[in-house]
Amino acid sequence: MSNNQQIFELWLEGKISAEHCAQQLQDDPVWYGRLQNALAINADAKLPAFTAIPPFDSSALFASQWQRPKPQRSWWPQVSLALSCAAMLISLSPAQLRLQDGSLTLSWHNAKAEVDAAVSTALTAYQQQQQQWLAQQLELQQQNTSSQLVLLKDYLQDELKHDQRSDMLQLVEYLNQQRQADWQYWQENYQPMQAGYRPADSYYLTPTQSGVVKP
Amino acid sequence: MFKRSDDSLIAKALNGDQRAWQQLVNRHQSALFYFGLRLLGSKEDANDLLQDVLMVLCRNLGQYRGDSSFKSWLFGIANYRAMDLLRKRKYSDNDDALAELADDTPDLAQQLASSQTQQQVRKQLLRLPAEQRLVMELKFYQQFTFDEIASQLAVSSNTVKSRFYAALDKLRLQLEDDHVEQSANF
Repeated sequence: MSNNQQIFELWLEGKISAEHCAQQLQDDPVWYGRLQNALAINADAKLPAFTAIPPFDSSALFASQWQRPKPQRSWWPQVSLALSCAAMLISLSPAQLRLQDGSLTLSWHNAKAEVDAAVSTALTAYQQQQQQWLAQQLELQQQNTSSQLVLLKDYLQDELKHDQRSDMLQLVEYLNQQRQADWQYWQENYQPMQAGYRPADSYYLTPTQSGVVKP
Repeated sequence: MFKRSDDSLIAKALNGDQRAWQQLVNRHQSALFYFGLRLLGSKEDANDLLQDVLMVLCRNLGQYRGDSSFKSWLFGIANYRAMDLLRKRKYSDNDDALAELADDTPDLAQQLASSQTQQQVRKQLLRLPAEQRLVMELKFYQQFTFDEIASQLAVSSNTVKSRFYAALDKLRLQLEDDHVEQSANF
């Protein structure tokens, strides 16, 4: 690509002005001539066109190609369904139509529902209160029971110790009685017989002189 | 007012929106008509070309993929149909057509456009070979780039340039011949 062609194409792309391009190409008659012709055609292209465009209805063409027939739709089923829904809504809702003193009033007030709601709230509150009281009582009773159990345990332990001691005392007393009875039997039955067999120089003293205290 | 893009109008038209189609046609029909008028030289042929291109466009609207501008794609169709018409009818040097073109313009427009140079330019353009005339039309009147023209005509960019410069050279020669003839007449 020659330099002149580059300059010419820069003008075609609108990057340089026609004057600048002409200045650059004026030494080359071929390119200068091309520029002059191009300028003349360009000027003609910028002139407005006045020839009337013949009317052409392309709608039919488009309709046959792209438009689909609209489906026939009846709105009555939809209207019927909508009205039925509205009737159900009105009958279920708390809306009230009231004719009073010649005026029709539409209200959404429902006293029964409000009373029910208030009763329900009060019942819930009472139930909570009762549950709380019961829980407190149960806790208190558990505390009492546990303290009574502690007391009972202490009492039982004391009683057990007391019984054990009395048993021991009775045992000791019984043993003492047995010993005393044995001693008495021995003194009555065997002492005289023993005294008869004892030599005179026996160091054993008589039981009365031995100093042994009868139990 | 907000102007919808060609792409959105095509999308709407493909969904059966007739107003979108009409907007699309209104936007491009004058360019197509004057393109036909300059290239074919007669109002009837330009009208035939316009109707033909709109019919093809309507049939193939769904095939536009948006790879190039819509105008470029549309002129790709128009070029093909115009060249087809030119080949069939063997257009050649057609002074009658130029005369018809001038007759249709109103007085004021005639005053504006009837300078001798412009008349000569249009006359010489009609004497160019069809392929060269088409390149000149697309370059100067439709303001396409060489690459866009190459894409529309399915030829290389260098081929378009060679046709373009050959057309400019031929115009120069024709204008010089005219000058010689005029001088001889005086």
